[in-house]
Amino acid sequence: MDMSSITNWLQASIRLSAPLVLTSIGAVYNERVGIVNISIEGSMLVGALAAVAGTFFTGNVAIGTICAIAAGGLLGLVMAYLTVTRNTSHLVAGLALNFFALGATNMGFALLFPTERARVATYPVLSPAELRGVPFFGPVIFNQTVIVWIALILPLVSGWVLYRTSWGLNIRAVGDHPRAVANAGLSVFRLKYVAVILGGVFPGLAGSALTLAELGYFAPNITGGLAWIVLAANNVGKWNPIRVAAACLIFGLTDALQLRFQALGSAIPYQFPLMAPYLLTLIVLFGLTGRAAAGPKTLGLPYDPEAV
Amino acid sequence: MDQSADVALRMVGITKTFPGVLANDDIDFELMAGEVHGLLGENGAGKTTLMNVLYGLHQPDSGEIFLNGDKVEIPSPREANDLGIGMVHQHFMLVENLTALENIVLGLPLDRPPLLDLNPARARFKGLVNEYGLGLNPSTPIWQLPVGDRQWLEILKLLFRDAQILILDEPTAVLTPSQAERLFETIRRLADKGRSIVFISHKLREMKEVADRVTVLRDGHVVGTVDPKEATPFELAQMMVGRDVFLDRRPRLPSESKQAVLEINGVSCQDDRGIPALKDLSLNVYAGEIIGVAGVDGNGQRELAECIAGLRQPTKGIIQIDGKPVSGVVHDPSLLGFIPQDRRKMGLVLGFSVAENLILKKFVESPFTRRGVMRWDAIRREANALIQEYDIMTPHSMMPVRFLSGGNQQRVVVARELSGKPALVVASQGTRGLDVGAIESVHKILLRERNRGAAVLFISAELPEVLALSDRIIIMFEGQIMGELDGESADVDLIGELMMGHREAAGMAAGGAV
Amino acid sequence: MKEREGIVLSGLGELVLPYARPLLGIALALLVSAGLILARGANPIVAYAAMLQGAFGSVAALANTGVRAAPLLLSGFAVGLGYKAGLWNIGGTGQIYLGATTATVVGIIPLPVPAWLHLLLAVMAGFVGGALWMLIPAYLCAYRGVNLVCTTLMLDYVAGHLVSYLLHDTPLAAGSFYPMSPLILPTARLPILVKGTSLHAGFVLALVLGGVLYFVLHYTPFGFRTRMVGENPEAARYAGVDVVRWILLVLLICGGLGGLAGAGEVLGLKLRLFDYFEGFVGFEGLALAIMVKGNPLGIILAGIFFGSLKAGASRMQIVTGIGAPMALVIEALAVLFVVAIGFGERGGLARLPQKKTHGKEG
Repeated sequence: MDMSSITNWLQASIRLSAPLVLTSIGAVYNERVGIVNISIEGSMLVGALAAVAGTFFTGNVAIGTICAIAAGGLLGLVMAYLTVTRNTSHLVAGLALNFFALGATNMGFALLFPTERARVATYPVLSPAELRGVPFFGPVIFNQTVIVWIALILPLVSGWVLYRTSWGLNIRAVGDHPRAVANAGLSVFRLKYVAVILGGVFPGLAGSALTLAELGYFAPNITGGLAWIVLAANNVGKWNPIRVAAACLIFGLTDALQLRFQALGSAIPYQFPLMAPYLLTLIVLFGLTGRAAAGPKTLGLPYDPEAV
Repeated sequence: MDQSADVALRMVGITKTFPGVLANDDIDFELMAGEVHGLLGENGAGKTTLMNVLYGLHQPDSGEIFLNGDKVEIPSPREANDLGIGMVHQHFMLVENLTALENIVLGLPLDRPPLLDLNPARARFKGLVNEYGLGLNPSTPIWQLPVGDRQWLEILKLLFRDAQILILDEPTAVLTPSQAERLFETIRRLADKGRSIVFISHKLREMKEVADRVTVLRDGHVVGTVDPKEATPFELAQMMVGRDVFLDRRPRLPSESKQAVLEINGVSCQDDRGIPALKDLSLNVYAGEIIGVAGVDGNGQRELAECIAGLRQPTKGIIQIDGKPVSGVVHDPSLLGFIPQDRRKMGLVLGFSVAENLILKKFVESPFTRRGVMRWDAIRREANALIQEYDIMTPHSMMPVRFLSGGNQQRVVVARELSGKPALVVASQGTRGLDVGAIESVHKILLRERNRGAAVLFISAELPEVLALSDRIIIMFEGQIMGELDGESADVDLIGELMMGHREAAGMAAGGAV
Repeated sequence: MKEREGIVLSGLGELVLPYARPLLGIALALLVSAGLILARGANPIVAYAAMLQGAFGSVAALANTGVRAAPLLLSGFAVGLGYKAGLWNIGGTGQIYLGATTATVVGIIPLPVPAWLHLLLAVMAGFVGGALWMLIPAYLCAYRGVNLVCTTLMLDYVAGHLVSYLLHDTPLAAGSFYPMSPLILPTARLPILVKGTSLHAGFVLALVLGGVLYFVLHYTPFGFRTRMVGENPEAARYAGVDVVRWILLVLLICGGLGGLAGAGEVLGLKLRLFDYFEGFVGFEGLALAIMVKGNPLGIILAGIFFGSLKAGASRMQIVTGIGAPMALVIEALAVLFVVAIGFGERGGLARLPQKKTHGKEG
């Protein structure tokens, strides 16, 4: 394998891991407040469709992105209502919302694009001339679409917010001991709501990264379980936005393998690289046993403010 | 107490109901400036609820609150904090993965929002720590702080916010007697400096020590307000319970048998975190006697009970019940009846019916299962018999047990465990969270078992009931037996010393075969 | 504090409530969907009438409903049994694929046995295939406390690709343009129940299995233990259940049930293994189990409802032009509303608490 094929591979992995990284930003926040959010897959899916639809009908990629964010955020709002206000089991709410997203996007796709797949505009590539020349990093990092740039920068911003602002402190506290936070005079309700909505907004954005970065179209079930890989990444990265993003990048490496193999025309059937990200996640989960207990203490547990 | 003190706080006509429960019934409460005012009552009398109302955690159905003469509304803890009211709860409100300083500043307004600038807070922290001699480090994460220090940190939180009214809810629950003494000193100092303190407890002795006045609550209403130094313990107890309470010892029959039913030999084991919980512990319990295990909760009592029941594997040593070594969970209902510490977690299946819980250990046996099929008619019959015998109040045997009151749930556990007439009965904190009536019935049942000839191991953090019931008392501290005393002649102060681990004060051999 | 001896529901209420919630959810879903149909310019009454026609209006329609419902029921049982044990089996998709594959393997080989035995072996192979696919997640969950939801989910996606590979590059491929297996031999096929339709015995199998599951859960020690583990594993351990091994056992059975769902489809309806044939059956089974909290009888009723939606959808499309995906939307809304109405009591375990010190029996 020569240098150029390695850089190609890395460039592809960064591009393919952008949706994972973006999703992870929201996922970190909602798990930090104690909500296991399975519906991030659904948010990504509706975001993906909304992005294509928005771009298709307005011709403007930015509007498409806003649609994606709105769609994902809406799903996040419903998730927040179910888990925070109604205290529904997080798993059940997430699974139900995913199922709903599946039905809604299938229906939506059939309605909006009844004929052939429409192709829409994609994100522009941002490649500053000065940086492009940098050896190795130039083509790998500095030659990506706008959305990938955003995906690389956001984890840093998120990390700063979580550890250097008081809101971040509150978020870190609320998942561990919501009663203590309520006692300090803060609104647990509001903190959780915002975090869960973020857990919809960012996967929505990730959905647009999925469809608008290179593909330019939507297909039913295009997300294929990617968002759930983020849940494992959360564990690996110990709910630290930057470490989690790094874990996502590593998962992206395996995803990019499928393109490499196809390009090489190798003897390995194409289905195997397709399986790779999921198998890797499985192996990672296996390796995490024992440390699995780490994480926000009330993760997955209901919170009853009126309980004595 | 300052004779010309003002009234710092007045709560008038506070009523609060929860579904099915009248927690506070038209309560009037008054607190003077610079006073330490005790709130005394049994578990469930309404003390915590009243203070939760004051702290804004609950909204009263009716009633008013006056602070320094002005009427105030307290819709949430934020307003309470703003008004200078602070509360330290029974269960600590500390976030484990944050540092001491971060916990303190949680919820405080910032100098430069949204940035989290900890420096001014850190300086203030150190200042207060010096002033009160607390010895706390701001950068320590909470999970590394020992329990006693956490208590101080909670109080520090209140001081940080310049709380003028401090509410302490059962603060000595996790303290040794000497730590409690230090707490009382600090409370008096705070009061001398003009702050007003509400001290919630169900322990009579503490009220006498620290309170200027005591208000007694019972069943959600105020029984009276007295000066604890003048009222006798008996009077206070009667106010709390409403009828003659026998703080005396129970009459006991002399025990005949010298056969050891429970033999524990050199047992060590670890707790859930891998830290040694029992250290080379040995103990014998004989038929027809009650051994009371005293000690502050968390010194290995739970692990001891679990090892005996076979729920926990000792790393060293042997346990035998009736000569049979314990290996794995003890199922034989004629050997062991185990009343666990947390009935909701281990004792009962809350989603199951009363009947299903009653046959939980014998559902495979005939007549409950025949030819592979469960016979619900036979099960119901057995359940109804037990419901009768143990006085369990439930409309029918198929009622899900989670709808029963705490006392009745405990009765279900007791019924199931004792119906096999076991040789050994282990009751681990069996009266926790129960009202007096339920506690009385548990005591009566334990005595009945003892008189039947069973060996009874009674573990409790409540010294009065250990004193009242036990033939022999052993004191546990950090996984070892500090000493053994005769139930009749036990010296309370000596027990207190042993509970803190002071062997020297005991003047008797600690541990060893008993 | 005076506590009322808590009687929260009257006797009748206790009986009715478990069924009221799914029914209410379904009603709301139909209402909202009616609104969506209206927004598309069609008459909801006409649309629903067409749907009813397509699902129940003739023998062929009823058969269609049964055919659609059969795999949903089995998939629902696969999740529901786990739910009763406090476990989330999200691996339906993978179990269906694997069960279908193993059933196909047995079904395309001419075996020197009577027809009924060939069929039986093929069905059993389906069960085994699904159970095998569950082996790793079950082991990881029971013995290592690894999150069952994640592991089963990942294997779902792996399964689809794996089967696709098998249909392309192995002897399983029929060698034609379209990736599919050879035809299932007539001796291994599930018999058709009603002549002229495609309603196969798998439907009856599902109904019977549902009844058996209900009986086992409520009238046998096996079911008692399972429910105990689901409600309170600590207490179960104390009552003498080897919780770790029990979880493994229950999960393997769940996997087998999922495998049966796949086997039924291949041996009864499709008669071949096709590339990525599963559709959403795995998730729909999950939705069913959620709606009725794992109750096998409830799964039968709700599963038939889902089946009727799918059977009636094509007729609705012909009459009103509302597309077939509408059925999925109604299903999804039904689950969502049921969940919204109330699912607060039980959280369920996806991961076991790890116990550091074990008694002999783990």
